[in-house]
Amino acid sequence: MDFQPDASLEAFREQVRGFLRDQVPADLKGQQRCTRSPREQITRWQKLLTERGWGAPYWPKEHGGTGWSVPQILVFDDECSAAGTPTLDGFVHKMLGPVLNSFATPEQKAEHLPPVFNGERLWCQGFSEPGAGSDLASLRTRAERDGDHYVVNGQKIWTSYAHDADWIFLLVRTNMDVKKQAGISFLLVDMRTPGITVRPIRSIDDAHHLNETFFDNVRVPVANLIGGEGQGWNITKFLLNNEHATVADLPELKRYMRELRLIGSTLQVDDQPLFEQPGFALKLARLDAELQAIEMLVQRVARLEQQHNPASHTLGSILKIRATELQQRMTEAQIEALADYGAIAYPHPHEADPQQPFPQQALARGISHDMFLRRASTIYGGTSEVQRGIIAKMLFQL
Amino acid sequence: MDFEFTSEQRLLQDSLRRYVDKAYSFEARTALLKAGKDGSADNWGLFAANGWLMAALPEEYGGLGGTLVDTVIIAQELGRGLVLEPFMACAVLAAQTLLATGSEAQKARLVPQLADGTYRIALAYGEAGSRGMPLPVTLQAEPVHDGFRLSGRKSLVLGAVGAKAFIVSAQIPQAPGISLLLVDADRPGLTCQTLPLHDGTWAQALHFDGVEVGADALLGEAGQGLSGLRQGLANGIVALCAELVGGMEKTIEVTADYLKVRQQFGVPIGSFQALQHRMADMAAELELARSSLHAALDAMANDDAVTRDRTVSASKMLICRAAKSVCGQGIQLHGGIGMTEEYLVGHYYKRAVVADLLLGSSDSHEAACAAALQAQLRA
Repeated sequence: MDFQPDASLEAFREQVRGFLRDQVPADLKGQQRCTRSPREQITRWQKLLTERGWGAPYWPKEHGGTGWSVPQILVFDDECSAAGTPTLDGFVHKMLGPVLNSFATPEQKAEHLPPVFNGERLWCQGFSEPGAGSDLASLRTRAERDGDHYVVNGQKIWTSYAHDADWIFLLVRTNMDVKKQAGISFLLVDMRTPGITVRPIRSIDDAHHLNETFFDNVRVPVANLIGGEGQGWNITKFLLNNEHATVADLPELKRYMRELRLIGSTLQVDDQPLFEQPGFALKLARLDAELQAIEMLVQRVARLEQQHNPASHTLGSILKIRATELQQRMTEAQIEALADYGAIAYPHPHEADPQQPFPQQALARGISHDMFLRRASTIYGGTSEVQRGIIAKMLFQL
Repeated sequence: MDFEFTSEQRLLQDSLRRYVDKAYSFEARTALLKAGKDGSADNWGLFAANGWLMAALPEEYGGLGGTLVDTVIIAQELGRGLVLEPFMACAVLAAQTLLATGSEAQKARLVPQLADGTYRIALAYGEAGSRGMPLPVTLQAEPVHDGFRLSGRKSLVLGAVGAKAFIVSAQIPQAPGISLLLVDADRPGLTCQTLPLHDGTWAQALHFDGVEVGADALLGEAGQGLSGLRQGLANGIVALCAELVGGMEKTIEVTADYLKVRQQFGVPIGSFQALQHRMADMAAELELARSSLHAALDAMANDDAVTRDRTVSASKMLICRAAKSVCGQGIQLHGGIGMTEEYLVGHYYKRAVVADLLLGSSDSHEAACAAALQAQLRA
């Protein structure tokens, strides 16, 4: 154990900074990144990265990726966040991509990998159903074989960005007669296929990312099955175990801290900056202490993950619980710091500017949207309660 | 940055773990407690013989030339066993303050004796009004013909029992700032009241009533002692935090075992989800505390003094609060048996409660962090 600075990692950081400074146009920087960026920006950003040879920053070299280590990936994400670049399509880069690389046939790879690098095929994820949330394996969307096709019927829910996606990766039940996990298969479906209906669900952050997606006799070529029939559950476990250190969304936590400090310096109380108020300063100190600890925990998980040490899974669950709770507390602290302005429902940052600017709009707009959206962090990707169950079982055999 | 132990670090940890498991069983510790001493002289000699006291002392003064990471490994294992001997107070806090402030001659004379365990010193810096923080200091060291005359009080000196000398923080009227002086424990005019702490360790309240020392008692320059004192305190806090991480580890292990054997309603109570989730939260609290300790070690190795002190303060408050929470839950999950003096889990809580108050409480360090952040925002 030592705490000597890692010179090669710092050199890498300089390289990423240089790229962001010299090769990324200004209109692709300074973006709000809490939710997925608009399509046009994702595509431009993806092409720019591909030109630089960084088109798949999270993948190993043999699959056309950068081959970066987990600590390098954290640096890359950190710098992109600080610069405010658009997001990538996380569904394909972090979830589907590794599945394709490990389980797809050469034909499937030829079909789906090139569009990852040109950013022109956006994906969404069809896992959860109204009756299958934490108990995902009880999903009921069915795919029945009919010649060279599956006929898919059922309903998915919480399908983020389905309204703006070209394809969906889907868990379906192909066999009703076996143990529930064993009857699940993994299908890729073109969203333009007849019989698919996407209905928006407006969420409490006053935005539209969520949807219900209905499948009514949707015919999907058998060639779009990944792995074999009944392999869907194993593939899902693989997919969900792919990233641990990044679940903290550390770049966003750091952004919240920067914003909180900005609020503290901008707003005035009794002719003094808000940060002179002891109550605010003490709260800032508590959050800062926890953020420092989370940063170190991220580094620890990253290094375990890099060594494929299974301890990264349990420590990743711990990180997920604590980091997502911190996301919630920090965004709540921002709203509290804004006081009167915290109560105002500003237009969503992705929406047009209001005709008459709202008071303190430059400082406060978007903060409540982040705060309300962050209620989802302790639910998605395995609820905090599911994570606690995993920890108790893995660490203590309870 | 590397979180993996080297083979040497692993060996160090193993040797401590073996010692604590075999020689420092809960029963052995209880016997020491009953004897009413701050550990035993034999044990201190053994710590010295094993190289634990000299691990992080420089080679030129008879140390092994290790780093604070070695200190942390030792303290964490001692914390698992609730070891009573004042390792943190004497071998870290006082020793590192001496290293940070003493002249070459002073260090050459004293440090080798700290390393081999033959000489013990304690740091007398806290006063009733400073609440464990380095400031303010009211104790006066008035210059007299060939030295100083000390008058005033120090409130809670750790590791004082058995110490042959104290490093005392004082104000010298003609030299603004804090000065540090080395004062023999048996000087006339110095009275020491020995006070028991909740965790079975001892501290002393010191009363200096015109205590005279020579000019050579001054460590470093007059009025220039604060930065060295802060450096010593930072080292001590990191060691104390490491002890608590060890204590939390042990509490969680003992509690997990208990949940598997204790039966109610015909089943082990560990089968109840409420208790499983509590254990998960305790584990999360521990791991966050461990990472906070790593953040402190990182700051100690790489940052300027202001950032270092802010980070160490942040770790002190986060880890002490975590330890009180985790060890308190250890009692809760044991139920009634956790309340008894005869059972170990309550003793970890006592240590956590005391540790929170030592070297500045969580509240004091939180205020220090807040003040540092305010200063940063003003700039």
